[in-house]
Amino acid sequence: MIQLTRRNFMKFAAASGAVLATGEGMKSKALAGTVQTQTGRDFSPTTKKERQAIPTACWQCVARDSMIGFVEDGRLVKLEGHPKSIRGNGHICARGMAGINQVYDPDRILYPMKRTGARGEGKWKRITWDEAVTELTDRIKKLRDEGHPEKFIFHYGRMKASAAKLIGGLVEATGTGSIGNHTSLCEAGKWTAQELTWGGHFDNWDIDKTKFILNFGSNILETHTNHMPVAHRIMNAKVDRGVRMVTFDVRMSNTAAKSDEWIPIRQGTDMAVFLAMTNVVLNKGLYKGDGEEFLKYCKCTEKHDDTVENKVEALKKHYANYTPEWASKISGVPAAKIEQIATEYATTKPAVLIAYRGAITTYNGTDSERARMVLNSLTGNIDNPGGNCKAVGAGWASAKIPKSETKKAKDIFDGAPKGQPESYPFPTHHASHQVLPRIKASGPGTFELALWYCYTPAYANGDVQGNIDVLKDEKLLPFVVSVDPFYGDSTHYADMILPDATYLERYDWEDMVDPTQIGEYYIRQALVKPLGESRDFGDVMIEICNRLGIKTDYKTKEEYVQQSVDMTPGVKEAGGWEYMKKNGVWNDGKAKYYSYKKEVPAEAIKEAGVVYDEEAGVYWNPEKAHVTENKGYFRSKNAYKGYVATKMGDKLIAGFKPDKINKSGYMELWSQPLKDVGMNPLPEWIPAPEHANIAPDDLHLTTFKVVVQTHSRTANCKWLSEIYPQNQAWMNPKDAAARGIKDGDRIKVKSAIGEMEILAHVTENAQPGHINISHHKGHWAYGRYASGKKSPVGADDPDDANIFWKGFGTHPNWIIPNKGDRIAGYQRWNDTLVKVTKA
Amino acid sequence: MKKGIGISRRDVLKAGGATATVIAVSGASAVVANAAEGPPRWAFIVDLRRCVGCRTCTVSCKAEFDVPLGRWRAVIKPVDWGIYPNNRRAFVPRLCNHCAGESEKGVPPCVEKCPEAQSGERLKMGDVRYRTGATYKRPDGMILIDMNLCIGCYKCIDACPYGVRYIDPSVKLKRPDREKDFGIGKCTFCEHRVDNGIEPSCVQACPHSARIFGDMNDPDSKVSKLIKEFNLDKNREKTTLLPQEKTVPHVFYIDPEGVLGRYKFDYKDKAKKQAEFRDNIV
Repeated sequence: MIQLTRRNFMKFAAASGAVLATGEGMKSKALAGTVQTQTGRDFSPTTKKERQAIPTACWQCVARDSMIGFVEDGRLVKLEGHPKSIRGNGHICARGMAGINQVYDPDRILYPMKRTGARGEGKWKRITWDEAVTELTDRIKKLRDEGHPEKFIFHYGRMKASAAKLIGGLVEATGTGSIGNHTSLCEAGKWTAQELTWGGHFDNWDIDKTKFILNFGSNILETHTNHMPVAHRIMNAKVDRGVRMVTFDVRMSNTAAKSDEWIPIRQGTDMAVFLAMTNVVLNKGLYKGDGEEFLKYCKCTEKHDDTVENKVEALKKHYANYTPEWASKISGVPAAKIEQIATEYATTKPAVLIAYRGAITTYNGTDSERARMVLNSLTGNIDNPGGNCKAVGAGWASAKIPKSETKKAKDIFDGAPKGQPESYPFPTHHASHQVLPRIKASGPGTFELALWYCYTPAYANGDVQGNIDVLKDEKLLPFVVSVDPFYGDSTHYADMILPDATYLERYDWEDMVDPTQIGEYYIRQALVKPLGESRDFGDVMIEICNRLGIKTDYKTKEEYVQQSVDMTPGVKEAGGWEYMKKNGVWNDGKAKYYSYKKEVPAEAIKEAGVVYDEEAGVYWNPEKAHVTENKGYFRSKNAYKGYVATKMGDKLIAGFKPDKINKSGYMELWSQPLKDVGMNPLPEWIPAPEHANIAPDDLHLTTFKVVVQTHSRTANCKWLSEIYPQNQAWMNPKDAAARGIKDGDRIKVKSAIGEMEILAHVTENAQPGHINISHHKGHWAYGRYASGKKSPVGADDPDDANIFWKGFGTHPNWIIPNKGDRIAGYQRWNDTLVKVTKA
Repeated sequence: MKKGIGISRRDVLKAGGATATVIAVSGASAVVANAAEGPPRWAFIVDLRRCVGCRTCTVSCKAEFDVPLGRWRAVIKPVDWGIYPNNRRAFVPRLCNHCAGESEKGVPPCVEKCPEAQSGERLKMGDVRYRTGATYKRPDGMILIDMNLCIGCYKCIDACPYGVRYIDPSVKLKRPDREKDFGIGKCTFCEHRVDNGIEPSCVQACPHSARIFGDMNDPDSKVSKLIKEFNLDKNREKTTLLPQEKTVPHVFYIDPEGVLGRYKFDYKDKAKKQAEFRDNIV
């Protein structure tokens, strides 16, 4: 071999450089060297060995993307999107990538603990699992024996798919129906509006086939319920197919920034723009064609079988005063812009209209979503390829879950506490943020035992101080159990902590919505064994039930998941559990559209018990709905459970099947259930009471989410918090200057219920009149990366010396009250007005 | 082909004419399987139209290499301009540019300043022989660091105008007299993955296909096609970072909006250029 000298090496390098610079090398055929994309493989950078690849599913947010976990020497080292997933196409987000930080969080709780000091003092002793399970079982048993199983409140933050089915089911099997959830903090108003209009909940925007994307208040490229599966399709549609995207938002989010147009809109006024756009569509006749065709399936007046002409006339009458000029005064969006966007949306077919948090976290939230449904209906963009579709997910079978013969529940989940001048006629997803205030209002004795599962009541709800006051009160909550992998702001106020397995250490079947309308079946499997003594709470609930004498066909959640997977049609034939463990994903390849048009066979209405309700145009079965006294379909409790089909002319169709609310099988733009509670059956603009007397120096406080954080759950993920260590308050330079505030100044933000301090971020990306403060930050007990404090059980970590940030931000929920929108009771995160001064 | 390093321009072209060989088989440790082949020339393209600033690349890279806190190998820099309501925002992803260096020198500043750039073993890539070093350039264009050879002078850190190199507190130097000193980290183009036939971690990760990696010497590769379509290599003034430094980056930007021109940092100041190569969301 010839010696490679520095000089020769340089000579070579110069030669190859020259070739490349002139591009001559490309005249010839390919040189060797090619890389494959999306292989689902990974190698160690140190040993160069291939890492073990295991398909599983994410849980850093509710989008739950399919992914591949890579394991090296028994340690989880890397996560990537699953290349075969039709939802994700191999993609997860930054949060998903940082899931490893959850498993190896040095502040993690690794064994059961019981409080030794005062509640909230942070003093704990280690106990055994047997002690922990015995204590919990005994307490549940005592309440059952006393005939008050409902004095056990189970409140979860996030629980989906097999976890919901099994854990939720087993909790109910103990006899309590006192089960709280989280949706009133998320998008309950949106779901209720959908239940009032097209029945069921969840809309999928068929991005792959759409030609126009109109977005109101969704930061979908940064964070969303179905984030990455939708987001990557949006960017493909934009760049590959030139699809235009327009975003209305109170601030310039990254989504707004990457849209073709950002249209600033005053907080809480999206509905006014929907109404005005509908006015334009009606007046310009843009509903003709697809819209008219779809109107046949809509209820727009009291009569379900009204003519399309009458329907249009009724809508025109209702919308006459909702002009672009009217909406412009309310929203700050120029009237001409409203008209232009309305025309573009109505004439670019098919098109999607995305609306999320920005449009619904307000007094009119539920009606805002109903107004969106009207606009989608009048343009024929409902459940059509490229339009706004009824969501499709996996339909797993479930192994048998035992049931309690009797079930009792406390009536505490669906309303505002006494004294608050609010009522919510359709809290179909509960007003769970009002549970702690209502426990306080009800006084001692309401509950004897409280269990939080994947839930941080102190941090997640509004009025943080109010929450802490209730959580610390041993008279109101005599015994509190927190099930959590991590020490945090709410476990801090528990009496016993059960260390849960993280999502990367457990098994589930999963079913999140598929943007392709096909429906993806996928599973989550453990990549590593649960650290320390942590256990999947599904396993713990099985043990508790078994100890209570409630029998199950499985001893672990893994067994339950396996049995369910092996029972599920389609998956079963593909190879069941073994197939899913190896492949992680399965689908039937069939996209589902126009489900409402499906004809129902005549035999269905000939079944015993099925009756026709003339008023609703619905065939239903009162017996099946357990209705003993038939007061008519609309007015018999839970009649929707007996829904069979809708009569349209001489046809029998599946229609828009109701869920949770007795609506007809029509798309109810005009709502009988709303009329029956004395509300306007058509969407109606009613200004938020707080905004009636807005002072010149008031600012709208709006909250938002950031691309590298999820709610309250990721601040102790070190790779995410090093990018976003603290939140700052976005202010427009004009508002800042008027208050003598400069970028980076410490400011005071004061609402009706409290005051907080935070750093100002003075930016043109904020709209005048608004101050925007993100969630995620300002933790006080959640680990070193989130709060600067090690947990009481925190271990040393090699990265400790590298933590460079000193500020951890401020949580806006300290100054946001718990309130509800006027229909669903959904938390009005963005209706708060504040005064801002330099600190 | 001639043996050794006295490789001529003609030889390279000749090698280029040889049949293509597909590698990417499990366990393959070298990119080039056929000895008659010339090496590839890896290039990295960032499509600024597609980048939404999601930081999936950033975090994917942290995981792939378990990068310590406060250090990054891939970052996203937001670029803001204009006054409300006509304000705009775009994102510039950054990583090591794997520069070719000026043609007369043939190596980028980091290699040039490395006193141990030639102290490693002799290796072969296809028919091309090369010598490794502490910081060295592989025939396929990757700028790599061999921590066994690094003496910890840290001159490369200062030499890089982009500030992409950092002192890595998780890596100790191997030289007997320097065992207490820390090593150096930076983007490797995921050499350990690419040599096994799979794309770099951040390319796999990017949900929006804003990161494209491939062989410039292969006219059928996606990078070659994009280079041609967007005239990336002939228009380096507009498609690479700090073209005035004449480092000849092999990270190109598809930038129809002219975002790069708005992205400025003080690269002459040692502390500032390194502070710039951090990821931070406000």
